[in-house]
Amino acid sequence: MLFNILPIMSIITKAIATADRQARYLTIGELDVISDFFDNSQQRLRIAKILTANEQKIVNAGTQRFWERCPVTPSNSGNPTYRSSCLRDQSWYVRLVTYSLLVGDTEPLEAVGTEGAKEMYVSLGIPLRNLAECMRCLKEVALDLLPLDDAAEAAPYFDCLIQGLAP
Amino acid sequence: MQDAITTLINSSDVQGKYLDNTGLEKLKSYYQSGELRAKAAIALGANASTIITQAVARSLMYTDITAPGGNMYTCRRYAACIRDLDYFLRYATYAMLAGDPSILDERILNGLRETYNSLGVPIGATIRAVQAMKDVTADLLGAEAGKEMGVYFDHITAGLS
Repeated sequence: MLFNILPIMSIITKAIATADRQARYLTIGELDVISDFFDNSQQRLRIAKILTANEQKIVNAGTQRFWERCPVTPSNSGNPTYRSSCLRDQSWYVRLVTYSLLVGDTEPLEAVGTEGAKEMYVSLGIPLRNLAECMRCLKEVALDLLPLDDAAEAAPYFDCLIQGLAP
Repeated sequence: MQDAITTLINSSDVQGKYLDNTGLEKLKSYYQSGELRAKAAIALGANASTIITQAVARSLMYTDITAPGGNMYTCRRYAACIRDLDYFLRYATYAMLAGDPSILDERILNGLRETYNSLGVPIGATIRAVQAMKDVTADLLGAEAGKEMGVYFDHITAGLS
């Protein structure tokens, strides 16, 4: 089977690709959208930096909270492989959240993170209900690190993740 | 096609890494220049045909190239020349907005020199016209945006020579 992995695009590359297909310049409307994107980009960059710097802390605290809520789960069964896979995947999802914040779009989360993820986890025997709870815990501990308006900006990205992995 | 953001993210993603501080600093300066880029793109789109006209007037119009025997002699060849300059300007505008020259390589420069050579299009005159577009756009956009746009015209020049 041949997989064609599309690169992550930003709203800028998307708008350029559309204009290019029609051999025209970008419209004022398209450039307005891009300007708005630049307007709040410093905030999204700041959030991405905080999440990047605190990745270990978020994953560790998120895991503890997750095990309190779902004690019977593969990662808490004493099997070290299950445990480290769970931590690795959480770190992976936090990373995708930082990418998505930087492009200002939830698409990387969906394209790289959640498309096909449910099927994969089901085939691996991971209970989806627990997985979604794990993502909810990640969201809670990550947002706790952020000032209120930054937390409001970051929340939809985590929600996208929770919804994308929920059973 | 990539922009300043996706270049960094895609190369991190294939390695499964977070963006490092260098990457984050690059993004910061790109974000800060965003307003300038969007405004310049509006001005370039609105003035595209004027830019081409002025660039041709400054570089090619009053030289032997438009006289009988020259490469822009006959309207058909003149039209082909300004069509190509129009492409260069549009793709340079895309690249400037993206903060990344990769779209120029993908859509314009791959194989262009070979094509021009096989068609007998003079590279030197093309480069003079591209440099004239750089000067005309710098006059239009002002120093800061003009300098940024110049990077992409120079990229075209480098790809041709």
